[in-house]
Amino acid sequence: MENKSVHIFEAERIGNYLLGINVQDSEKNTYADAMQKLNIQFSKYEQALWEKMIKSKSKMACIDAALAMKEPNNNVRRKLFTMLAILEASPNYTSYFLSRNFSFFYIFKIGLVGIRAVWRAAIGIFIINSIKRKCN
Amino acid sequence: MQLSYDYIVVGSGATGAIVANSLVEAGVNIAVLDVGVEDELYKEIIPNKDFISIRKEDENQQDYFLGKQFEGIPWETSKVGSQLTPPRNFLTQLTEKLIPFESDSFKPMESMAKGGLGGGWGLGCYEFSKPELDAIGLKESEMLPAYDAVANHIGVSGIKDDAAPYCLRDLKNVQPVSELEQNLSGVFTSYNKQKKNLNNKGIFVGRSALAVITKERDNRSAVQYKDMDFWSDTDKSSYRSWMTIDQLKGKSNFVYHKNCLVLKFKEHDLGVDVIVKRTDTSEEQIFSCKKLILSPGVLGTARIVIRSFDYKKEQLPVICNPYCYIPCLQWRMLGKEIEQKKTSLGQLVMYLDEKNDNFDVGMAALFSYRSLLLFKLIKETPLNYADARIIMQYLQSSFTIAGIHHPEKGSASKFIRMEQNANTYTGDILTGQYILSEQEIKTNESREKKIKSALNSLGCKPLKTIYTPHGGSIHYAGTLPFNDNGENFSIHSNGKLGGTKNVFVADGSGFKYLPAKGLTFTLMANAYNVAKNVLKNG
Ligand SMILES: Cc1cc2nc3c(=O)[nH]c(=O)nc-3n(C[C@H](O)[C@H](O)[C@H](O)COP(=O)(O)OP(=O)(O)OC[C@H]3O[C@@H](n4cnc5c(N)ncnc54)[C@H](O)[C@@H]3O)c2cc1C
Repeated sequence: MENKSVHIFEAERIGNYLLGINVQDSEKNTYADAMQKLNIQFSKYEQALWEKMIKSKSKMACIDAALAMKEPNNNVRRKLFTMLAILEASPNYTSYFLSRNFSFFYIFKIGLVGIRAVWRAAIGIFIINSIKRKCN
Repeated sequence: MQLSYDYIVVGSGATGAIVANSLVEAGVNIAVLDVGVEDELYKEIIPNKDFISIRKEDENQQDYFLGKQFEGIPWETSKVGSQLTPPRNFLTQLTEKLIPFESDSFKPMESMAKGGLGGGWGLGCYEFSKPELDAIGLKESEMLPAYDAVANHIGVSGIKDDAAPYCLRDLKNVQPVSELEQNLSGVFTSYNKQKKNLNNKGIFVGRSALAVITKERDNRSAVQYKDMDFWSDTDKSSYRSWMTIDQLKGKSNFVYHKNCLVLKFKEHDLGVDVIVKRTDTSEEQIFSCKKLILSPGVLGTARIVIRSFDYKKEQLPVICNPYCYIPCLQWRMLGKEIEQKKTSLGQLVMYLDEKNDNFDVGMAALFSYRSLLLFKLIKETPLNYADARIIMQYLQSSFTIAGIHHPEKGSASKFIRMEQNANTYTGDILTGQYILSEQEIKTNESREKKIKSALNSLGCKPLKTIYTPHGGSIHYAGTLPFNDNGENFSIHSNGKLGGTKNVFVADGSGFKYLPAKGLTFTLMANAYNVAKNVLKNG
């Protein structure tokens, strides 16, 4: 039960990071169910990363961005990835995933998002290096 | 339970189903022995609706899109079968336990399912050219009518365009081609504009011949363009081998025995004993027949034959098409909404026939990306998930994936080996090695370069080349090469296994060469001929 409330809290945070909104209870419950079934185990380093990520949305974004470049298969990303899949396979959030006709100017938004992703990765690399040093 | 039959067929996959059908049609008494895993979890819960409607409406979609155990959220993608969707996972169920395979350089996919791998194949049908059939060891004059008969049974749609010499040739009984989706129609239009130039370089593009019906027949409806091809077979427009088995179940001269793992056979004066380990009780059972037809897939046949000859030869050659895929960005589709009604099947194929002789042709099947869900694509980017989602949502309509197969022949560094091992279910384990020579790698790279250049000129910018481990093409052959001298560990061109009187092989074990084009239609046509030869043989 205690675990479940931890997972529900994680789901809330991750959902908010991924889509920028408060996700519904049904998806939070599915995430908790998934965590129980997948039983993802963390190393000491991964645990330290996770504790930072769960505290703040911007740190979650930066660490995720850095790991995407340097350690894409790090287990903390598996948690985010699981929530991403759950959100996609839910009728409540299809508009975030299905293709639609974008205006020509949307390409500028894409460019800005790309720049933001690189910027986030740069900060994230700094954070994960410092966590790595502490864990060694 | 009846244990004695005139004819026993091992396996219900692409080849077994065709043999069984031909024998039943001839009126003889037959049994199919199969492990016969079926999908018990998902078949009933996937709605008979199109992908978009399901995505927007179905509250339970997580159950089948992600899997009840969340097995559809792949993290380690190197596992055999990880490319299958949860509703197709049953195809590889029980294989690790019943037919283990261990190798660092060869990762084949095998099936213990009713319908075998033929229950989830991509439906691409290719009638091989004369030089290709010659290299395999098959006679064109015998194969052409067999192709027609199989097309008639499974239902093939297509059109005679520039690709016809590589797939349809003069096939009869072809249904009209399915509608081409928007993503690929831009590529095709571009090809038609630059055709002359591309043809001079040996590039030909055309519609695929697919085992998908576009006109209703035999309780199967015409393709409904639901874009659920990787998830379900609700309208039965796509041919799956289990459909033949289900059809035959109503016939009085046909019996289907599931839970039967065939270990080996023993010949005697009156016929053949077939030794089976039941997968429900783990007990041994002996069936007998006048003639035995093996079609458990190339590796399955190798296991049975090696055991039946008391492990006298443990190492056999093997052939498997090298395969890689290339995600491309198609500028003209950027930021567009993907149409609701389409299919996910490879509807367009590019062939590279440099010498213009329809031999050693390279092939790239073109697919669009949608129904496998965006999160899997997002994982492949080097970006954080939140930003990658925004970018990929915009880009997804413009992804065109080219799956490249190379033609392949055997060599001393490509083999499988059976080792006795008391810890496994059957007391042995198959291992193997698959290593290409420097020259083969160079030839394949040069072919890929030419295909990439052609894709580029069609407006598809290749992003990266992803190589699958050997075995990833799911096309296997050549373990018991055709040879009419009757030697052990070879197959006569009529299908009879060397060193036996009444044992036949109907799968691809005899094929000495693998064209890049999918082999399954040819496997089925050969299986049809083997069934005819079995009957001729008494
Ligand atoms: C995702 C996917 C896409 C594909 N796409 C294409 C394509 O587009 N074009 C193409 O040409 N090919 C394609 N293929 C390959 C095609 O599926 C195979 O070539 C074909 O199914 C092989 O037929 P088979 O009869 O030899 O073996 P299978 O179809 O695998 O059948 C084997 C059968 O034997 C049974 N069996 C095995 N061992 C035993 C035993 N010891 N005792 C009893 N029963 C046993 C199994 O239960 C099964 O029923 C694809 C395959 C997959 C998985």
